[in-house]
Amino acid sequence: MSPSYAKPTTPAETAADSPQIPDEAYRALEDIVGAGNVSRDAAVLDGYAFQWLAELVRPEQSHYMPRPAAVVLPGSTEEVQAIVRVANTYGLKVKPHGTGWYHWSGPIKDEDATLQLDMRRMDRILEIDEQNLYAVVEPYVIAARLQAELLPLGLNINIPGVGCSSSIVASACAYHGAGPDTYFMGGNAENVLGMEWVTPEGEIVRTGSLGSGDGWFCSEGPGPSVRGICRGTLGSRGGLGVYTRCAVKLAPHLGQTEWNVRGAAPAYRLPVHERMRVYTLAVPDWDAWAEIYYRIYDNEIGYIFHRQFNLAGADLAAAFWLMYNDPTKKLSDVPDMVADPEIQKLTEELRISFQLILQGRSKDDIELQDKILDAILEEVGGWKVERFCEKDMAEFTNVYLQRLGHKHINFVWAGGYIGSWMQFGTPDWVKEYIPVAQAGLERDARDGKLVQCGGDAMMGSGSGIPLGGATGLEQFVSYDPDDYESTVAGIRHMEDAVKDAASIEYPPGKEFIYLQIGWTDEAIWKALASSKQPQVFRYQAQIKAAFDPNDTGDRMYPTLPLELEVS
Amino acid sequence: MALTDYRPDAMRCTRCSYCKFIPYDLVKSARFAEGCPSIKAGKFHSYSAGGKLVTALSLMDGRSEVTGQVVDIAFKCQLCGNCDVACKMCRYDMEPILALREFRAHLAELDRVPESYRPLIERTRAAMAGKGPRTPADRNAWAEGLGLKDPAKEPVDVVFYAGCKYSMEESLRETVRTQARLLQLAGLTVGLFENGCCGGLADKMGYRAEAAESGARMLKQWADAGVKTVVTPCADCRHVFTRLYPTLEGAWEDLPEILHTVELVDRLVKDEKLELTTPVPMTVTYHDPCNLGRQGEPYQLWEGVEKKIYGQAVVYDPPRPRHNGAHGVYDAPRDVLAAIPGVELVEMERSREAAWCCGAGGACREAFPEYSAATAGERVEEAASTGAQALVTACSRCELNFNEAVAADSASSGPASDLQVHDVLELVALSAGLAKEAS
Repeated sequence: MSPSYAKPTTPAETAADSPQIPDEAYRALEDIVGAGNVSRDAAVLDGYAFQWLAELVRPEQSHYMPRPAAVVLPGSTEEVQAIVRVANTYGLKVKPHGTGWYHWSGPIKDEDATLQLDMRRMDRILEIDEQNLYAVVEPYVIAARLQAELLPLGLNINIPGVGCSSSIVASACAYHGAGPDTYFMGGNAENVLGMEWVTPEGEIVRTGSLGSGDGWFCSEGPGPSVRGICRGTLGSRGGLGVYTRCAVKLAPHLGQTEWNVRGAAPAYRLPVHERMRVYTLAVPDWDAWAEIYYRIYDNEIGYIFHRQFNLAGADLAAAFWLMYNDPTKKLSDVPDMVADPEIQKLTEELRISFQLILQGRSKDDIELQDKILDAILEEVGGWKVERFCEKDMAEFTNVYLQRLGHKHINFVWAGGYIGSWMQFGTPDWVKEYIPVAQAGLERDARDGKLVQCGGDAMMGSGSGIPLGGATGLEQFVSYDPDDYESTVAGIRHMEDAVKDAASIEYPPGKEFIYLQIGWTDEAIWKALASSKQPQVFRYQAQIKAAFDPNDTGDRMYPTLPLELEVS
Repeated sequence: MALTDYRPDAMRCTRCSYCKFIPYDLVKSARFAEGCPSIKAGKFHSYSAGGKLVTALSLMDGRSEVTGQVVDIAFKCQLCGNCDVACKMCRYDMEPILALREFRAHLAELDRVPESYRPLIERTRAAMAGKGPRTPADRNAWAEGLGLKDPAKEPVDVVFYAGCKYSMEESLRETVRTQARLLQLAGLTVGLFENGCCGGLADKMGYRAEAAESGARMLKQWADAGVKTVVTPCADCRHVFTRLYPTLEGAWEDLPEILHTVELVDRLVKDEKLELTTPVPMTVTYHDPCNLGRQGEPYQLWEGVEKKIYGQAVVYDPPRPRHNGAHGVYDAPRDVLAAIPGVELVEMERSREAAWCCGAGGACREAFPEYSAATAGERVEEAASTGAQALVTACSRCELNFNEAVAADSASSGPASDLQVHDVLELVALSAGLAKEAS
C-alpha cells in the first residue's frame, strides 16, 4: 500500500540529494561510539535538520536546515576528539549542539557534509564546589537539572533568557544571553571558569587554571588564557570545535531551599519565602521606565529583575496571564476576557510594567529593600500592579522567574516567534528605540499576517550586566509557521526591523543574526566588512586558520577573509 | 483523523525539548528530571515526541521512507503522555499524544509494525472470531465462588470489568478478587459479563478496526443490559472506555459512567459504606498510572476546526477541550491511602502529572520487554529513594512490571531489593478487615 499524504508545502529532498558520509568514515564513527550511537537514517537526520526559524531563511520557507550527513552521540571527551579527527580526515564539518534549539544548531550549507554531534549522552554534573562557588558540568546538563541540585545548598545559577531547558555549557562556552537573574548573578559568558575544548583539529585544550592542573576555579589562568579566542563575546555557536566540560560560577540563594512547587498545570506556584518579595511594578511612561531602572541599579536592590509578561503583547498581556493561570480556561477565552472592563483597566495598569524579586539577607534587610522600593516608586510615579502582586500571581511569578521553565510560551500565540530588536545599552538609550519598535510591529501586523497583540510585546532582562547598567528589549513577533503568508510576513518584519533601526542610526538587532543564516558567504562578508569593527572578523579569520586548518567548523564563527578589502 | 491532520502540529513544533523532561517547574533533582522513557532509551531526538512528529512530517514531505528505525521510533514508546503534559505547559495548539497514536495507526495501515506485534494481533483477531485459546467464560474463572451476578439477567449496581491482565495472570488473581469482594463488602451488587478484551492493546498497536470492533461489542452488551456504571481495576481499560469508546459511532450519549475501582472505593469510604479501621503500619509511595493520572482526565469529545484570532493566534471553533493532565485522577487513591490508619504516604519526585511511566504501556511490555523492564527499573529505583517500604499503584500492568523490576533489582542486590509492590486496594482490604482468602 502506498501512503497518501497531503501536498507537501516544503520541498521534497531525498537522502540521495544530501551530501553523504563515506562508508569508511561512517564505520570509523561506529567504532568510536558504537553502532547504536550513530545514524544516517534519513528520517532520523531530519529530526536534526528540522529547526525553528529555518522557515524564515531557507528556500521556499522549508522548515528544514540542510540535512546532516550523520548524527553522532559521543559519550566522552575522548570520543569527541576521535570524531573530530575523523571529520578532519574525511573533510566533514562538525556541528555540536546541546538540546539544539535554533536554526543555527543544524548544518548551515547544503553542500557541506556535516556530522551533527548531539551531546545528550554527556549529561553529568561532575562537581559542585560549595566553598569555591562553582559547578562543573557536561554539555547536556540543562539549567533546570543543575539548579535543582543547587537550591538545597543555598546556591543558584544564572539561567539565561533561553530558559532552563537549555544547556549550561552552550550558554557559557558557545553563546551569550542575559536572563532574569543576570542582574544579580552575571551572565554565563562572564561566569564561565575552566573549559575543556576539543579544537576543530581535534586537540584537547583545557583553559585557565584547569590547563595548569590547578582545578576549575579561573578562566584566565594560571594556564592558557584563551577564553577570548574560543568564546569571545557572542560565542562561536558550534562553529569552532566542541566544548565538553566547563565550570560556571554559582551565586548565593537566600530564599527557599526546598522546591515546594504546587498547584495545577500549567501555572504552578512557589510560595514566597519570608526573605523574598515578588512584585510586578509599573510606571506611567518610558521616561519613568528608564528612571526606575537607574534607581534600582543605584540602590543595588533586587535579585531577579525582568520584563517578562509583556511578551504576550501589551494589549493582551493582562487577559492572557489570567487565562493561563486558570486551568479551566483556554486561549480562545482571551477575547472575552479582554472585553471585560476590569481586565481592560488592568491592561492599562500593566502596560509599562516589569517584574522584580527582592531577596534579603535577613528580615531587616528585606524590609529595608521594601522601603527603598516604595520610595523609588513614589519618586518616579510608579506603582505595584496589585492583581499581579496578589498571592496566586506572585507565587506564579516566583516559580516562573526563578526556574524560567515556561520559555516555550514565546510560541504560544501561533507556534512561531521572532525576537527582533534587543539592542543592548543604557535604559536611556534603549527607551529611544522603543517607540520605533512599537510602531514597526503595529505596522507589520496591520494586515493580520502577524499576531496583533499591541505594538509593545517587548521583553528583556532588567540588566545584562551584574549590578545593573545596561538592558535591552526584545520585540516578540508571533507568526504561524504553518501558514506561508504569515511566515513571509515574519521575514518582512525582520527586514523592516533592520531598516527601522538604521532609520534612527541604531545598529541592527537580534533579527539580523537570524536573517544572516540564510545569506551567502559574500553577503555576510559584506555585512561584516561594513560593521563598526571589521578587524575583529579578520582577526578571527587568523584564529580559524590556526585552529581549524581543515575547515571543519561552519561559519557560525564569523570570519572575514584577509584578502578582502575593508574600508 | 488522519496523519495529515497533525501536519500543523509538526510544522509548529519548535524542537524546544520540553517533551523530553517532566515540566521544568517540577524538577527537584538532576537524577529524576527526565520524563520520556522513549528518548531515554532511543537517545536520538527522533524518539522524543517532537522528534516523532518530525519523523512523520519527513515522511509526509516525501523526504524519507519508512525504515526499521522509523518503526522503532514510532512504536518504542509507552504513549505515557508525559510529553503531552510538558508540551502543553506552554502550548494550546499541539496534541502530541494524539499525533503519536495517529502515527502508529498510519504505520499499521501500511503494515509497517514491529515484528513482535504480529503474533499479538493474530491472537486478538482469533479471540474476536471466537477461536482464541481462552473463551470469555475462561476469562471469568478468576471470579469463581464470589457470587457475581450476570447483568444480562438481573439488575446490578455496578458491572465489574477485570481486563485481560487481571483475568488471566495468576499472580494478580488475589488482587482482582479482593477488589470485587471489597465492593460487595460495601453492599453493592456486582455484575460480571462474559466478554473479551476491551480493545486497548489493539488500539495501542495502531490496529484501529480491531479495537473498534471490540468496543462496539462491549458497548452493545452494556446497552442491551441497561448498564449504568462500569467499574474496572485496570487503568488501561478505564482509559479505553473513556477515551476510545466515546469516539465510536453513536457511543457518546449512551456511555455508562466509567470508574476505576479506586475512584468507587474512595466514594464508598467517604460515604461511610466502607470502614477502614484496622491499622496497616506501612510507609508507601504511590505511583500514578499514566492512564488513570494524566491521561485519566474527564474526556470531552470534540469536532471542530482551527480558526485565527488577532490575525494569527491559533484557536479552535468550537473551543477545543484541553486535556493537559491538570485534572487526572490523582486525589482518589491518595485520599483512600490517607483513610487507612497507619499508612504514611511519601511522594516520589515525579508524581501526579509528572509521574515516570511503569514501562508497560503502549504495548511495550508485549513488544519490547527489555525496554519495558528498563523503564520499570527506573521507577522502582525512584520509589526506593523515598525510603518507602512499598510501592503502591492502581493498575495491573504497572503492578506486573514493578514486581518483575523489583525481582530483577533483588537479583543484583539493587536499592529496590526490599521494596514491596501492592495494589492500593489490597491495603484497603486489609484495613477493612477483609480476610485473606485461602490460597
